[in-house]
Amino acid sequence: MARMNEEGQWIVLMGLLVAVALFFLALIINQSALVGQTTAEGVLEFPKNDIRDLREAVFDYVDAAGALDPIERVDIEKDIITISLERKNAVVQFGNGTPQDVSGRWLRPVDIHYNNGVTVYNETVYY
Amino acid sequence: MVNDAGQLYTMEGVAAGVIMLLAAYIVVSTTSIYTTGDTHIPDMQLEQLGSDVLAMMDAPNTNGTTSALETFVSTNNGTGFNSTFLSYCNATTRGTLDNLHMSANITYRDANANKINEYPFVAPDNTWTGRESAVRATRWVQLPKLSPKPVGMPGDMRTDPQAVLVEVLLWRA
Repeated sequence: MARMNEEGQWIVLMGLLVAVALFFLALIINQSALVGQTTAEGVLEFPKNDIRDLREAVFDYVDAAGALDPIERVDIEKDIITISLERKNAVVQFGNGTPQDVSGRWLRPVDIHYNNGVTVYNETVYY
Repeated sequence: MVNDAGQLYTMEGVAAGVIMLLAAYIVVSTTSIYTTGDTHIPDMQLEQLGSDVLAMMDAPNTNGTTSALETFVSTNNGTGFNSTFLSYCNATTRGTLDNLHMSANITYRDANANKINEYPFVAPDNTWTGRESAVRATRWVQLPKLSPKPVGMPGDMRTDPQAVLVEVLLWRA
């Protein structure tokens, strides 16, 4: 029986190593679809647009408040608070104080509070 | 006595084992195909697009005038809202139009019964979404005193100044 030829074993082994490396790269491509999932979910979870929109609604309310009678003011405030709770699952509270002298300009302190169970946002802005 | 001949054969066997394990893993994992739609990345982009379009529509042309969004809601002009919204969000840099569709509801508060109600503003069309899910974008609109109340608005909606929520459902067909 002829003896087994043991020459060229390193060449065979290098070929195997290349095969293993190719499998590893295939694995990376396989997992690449996952990239960005947690980022996207984090962005979706964080109510950035809700908070921006609420601020704008409160500023609109403060702008218009001077021309409204007290009942209408309370009604608009109730609109924003109850619809936020019903449609956005967010507890919202806001109010404006009397104008104060801030560096020579008379600005109202406006309190905005927002809580949807995941994100809490509180702000006092001089508007 | 341990014989140290044929070590390369041993290494070859180990390499073959690793290859077989990897092959088995890849074969098993291909039964669940994970697409980009599952990662919510298009959802995130679509939601941001919808919010941006609503913000654009809520910006008045000049200081002190009424924004397009407020005009559409206070005159109950759902058709105009639909075409303006879709022309903004279907615009692409290539010039061809994107294939986004939308429907919209308006949520208001019935002050007498203190109830939250909603009415359809733009009815949905019959298109399929495919794999990507529809997303929701919302925008507050403060309406002035409505006199008279436009046709089509529900009877229990009050005519005094009020804040309503425009909710847009946006999907790619």
